[in-house]
Amino acid sequence: MELLDKLTILADAAKYDVACTSCGVSRSAEKGKLGATTNAGICHSFSADGRCITLLKVLMSNVCSYDCAYCVNRARNDVPRATLSPRELAELTMGFYRRNYIEGLFLSSGVLRTPDYTTERMCESIRLLREHYGFRGYIHAKAIPGTSDELLVRLGTLVDRMSVNIEFPSAHSLKMLAPEKNRASVLGSLRFIHDGIKENYQDKRLSTTKRTRFVPAGQSTQMIVGASPESDYHILNLSASLYRSFELRRVFFSAYVPVNENPLSPLVREAPLLREHRLYQADWLMRFYQFDVSEIIDEDHPFLDLLIDPKCNWALNHIDHFPIEINKASYDMLLRVPGIGVRGVQRVWAARRERRLDFDDLRRLNISLKRARHFITCNGRFSEGIVFDPSSIYRTLANDAHRRHCKGVTAGQLSLFEDYETGPQKAQEQTAPLVTAAMTVAACSRHMSGSCGAPGSLAENMGISTTVLAKNNTSATVTGFWEEEATRRRENTHAALIA
Amino acid sequence: MQPLLLDADIFYLYDGSLEGLLSAVFLAFDSKENPSDILVEEGLQYSLLGSYQSVSTDLDHAERVMTGIVSTLGARCYEEVRSVYLSDEDHKGGVILRFLQYAFKHGRHSLLHLAHPAVNEFKEMLLRVTNEAHFIMMFARFAELEGGVFFARVEPRANVVPIVMEHFAERFNIQPFVLFDRAHQLAGVFDTSSWWLVDTRRLDVTFPDNSRSEEGFQSLWQTFFDTIAIEERHNPVCQRNFMPKRFWGTLCEQIPPELRKRRPSTETPSQAAKRAARLTGTVAAHGEIAGQGHDAQAGPCALEAGSCP
Repeated sequence: MELLDKLTILADAAKYDVACTSCGVSRSAEKGKLGATTNAGICHSFSADGRCITLLKVLMSNVCSYDCAYCVNRARNDVPRATLSPRELAELTMGFYRRNYIEGLFLSSGVLRTPDYTTERMCESIRLLREHYGFRGYIHAKAIPGTSDELLVRLGTLVDRMSVNIEFPSAHSLKMLAPEKNRASVLGSLRFIHDGIKENYQDKRLSTTKRTRFVPAGQSTQMIVGASPESDYHILNLSASLYRSFELRRVFFSAYVPVNENPLSPLVREAPLLREHRLYQADWLMRFYQFDVSEIIDEDHPFLDLLIDPKCNWALNHIDHFPIEINKASYDMLLRVPGIGVRGVQRVWAARRERRLDFDDLRRLNISLKRARHFITCNGRFSEGIVFDPSSIYRTLANDAHRRHCKGVTAGQLSLFEDYETGPQKAQEQTAPLVTAAMTVAACSRHMSGSCGAPGSLAENMGISTTVLAKNNTSATVTGFWEEEATRRRENTHAALIA
Repeated sequence: MQPLLLDADIFYLYDGSLEGLLSAVFLAFDSKENPSDILVEEGLQYSLLGSYQSVSTDLDHAERVMTGIVSTLGARCYEEVRSVYLSDEDHKGGVILRFLQYAFKHGRHSLLHLAHPAVNEFKEMLLRVTNEAHFIMMFARFAELEGGVFFARVEPRANVVPIVMEHFAERFNIQPFVLFDRAHQLAGVFDTSSWWLVDTRRLDVTFPDNSRSEEGFQSLWQTFFDTIAIEERHNPVCQRNFMPKRFWGTLCEQIPPELRKRRPSTETPSQAAKRAARLTGTVAAHGEIAGQGHDAQAGPCALEAGSCP
């Protein structure tokens, strides 16, 4: 097989891996060796789906002995298979890097025979690239859960970042959809890498440069959103605990794209992209905005509002903290204003030492006022035309979001505007969108039932009837969902046997 | 805050060099004049109003301004002044002058007075230049020429080659390369040990053809680029926001398929397999695909695939 064909097969197989970051480690160049890394990372291109390309993202091989229901490379799929030899992989990486196409390599692989055998071959490829070709660019490697500790250490000293995919938010879903993997071995690998990084970093016998030998850019993980019934509450609490206990650099979310005909996968017609987006926003709040997960989401409202971002949502639920005076508020409080980011806060913080800021000053500082103007005052005054009323703020912001997101997004996403006007019966026929609809409606009801709302008008504005609302609130529990799926599966097999 | 009074009708003219600009700044401080702008003399459209004063470049004066900036405002601030000088915008001289007037008066703290017009203008212009430099680090595409020199052509909106050369010279220290800015007719040349700038305005250089392996790598990259996109997430607006169309001219992956030398298949393998299955019936397709995966590991897998209905 030609290299071009192999690359096509293996890049196609790797494209569902989310992580494409070249950040977290700064390594200067060395004379006679190719490559360096910068702490912030550099994107080199953007594919037609708008995702950045910074690393050569390929599988070493898409031959896989596992049979995970969600995966395009599972053993039973009849896709063309290919394997890159260490030399081919190294030549490809060097060639691309020399032309400034990439920052480095992202290497993952299907499971060849056993996790150990696969990891050993990955180590071999990367070692050739690092030592024989002298490559100093960024390398991100996937660790396969169940790999032995010695091999993880070997891989970890060759690469910059490692990731172990947690795949699904709950152990139960993992068992249903990826029967060969188990939660304990995933968490085991994450813990082992975490301990390794810490141990290496705290080893006083090593010089400071050698203290960052093991996985210097830290580790990350990813999980698929929308292929299993877990709520956003579940997902965000899980990622919070991952950040806490394993000090992960990132938790990536991947909106489920149905690639296999599979009775176990829920009926998703469209990838839940907006839900993924909201989860990332919540993730950012936890990592950069000093939010605790309990402030973002609670058990009674287990899904994020799709119409407004989590920060707006928090602000509307804590409207008594607002409006804040931009010239007096503390740094922490400025961080909590919807629409103002970390950089914006830093600029305001610096600029207000010199003068009392007004709205023109804020514009000059490139602060986007679209959302922020509802929540702030400058010198005691609101921006012109602002009515400080939570329900009207919600309406304005939600309408904006609707205009922005609704064009390309259908059903499962903002079904509230389209599908649910046809009435509850139709809604009941669709299992998967029901879950998403429930979360949107639940989120709306929160604002309507709150002290702030003008419930009737909001509901009418949204085009939903309260009957739908009541029906959808009883969404299936996690285990209930899988029981239903299992029954459906049994029925299907039964029907097939009869036929 | 007292707004700075402008002597509205005085314009300083300089020769376009950084030293010239700093000399003009020196003169403005020295003569206690407040010119409304400092402009490049060459190709200037004079207006009837206002008096124009040509400032001769004085290295000594320029150096005094430089050391003044470094000692009162910091070395980083001098770097920033130099970056703003590389901007393509006509009013950069005036922006630098007003910023320095304000900053010298108020000291190092003034660098944080981001809402003050003089500082704000300066910082905004700086941001535009550094963004442009970052775009070049992202989107410069080198091609290997016959003889092993790598060549990239870029067309930035600011004269940023001097800023980005260090970055490329570090990471590509094993290969000689030329980074050619066609818009400003300036080339950065690196010979594996040091780099320098070449003014190409009066130069007529022809480059050798691409090396033999170059086409292969370009088509590999184009294939990778096309394959890595997920169809279900297609989002061209997002793509353009991150990668503005003005850069597409020099990106080999953005050459439309019909213009490429070797046209790669636009089908992903999974689509191709599905199509094959539709055409020939499932069993035949299995045979074909099992034949394609010639690696040893493909064996058990193909079997597994075959056993599935």
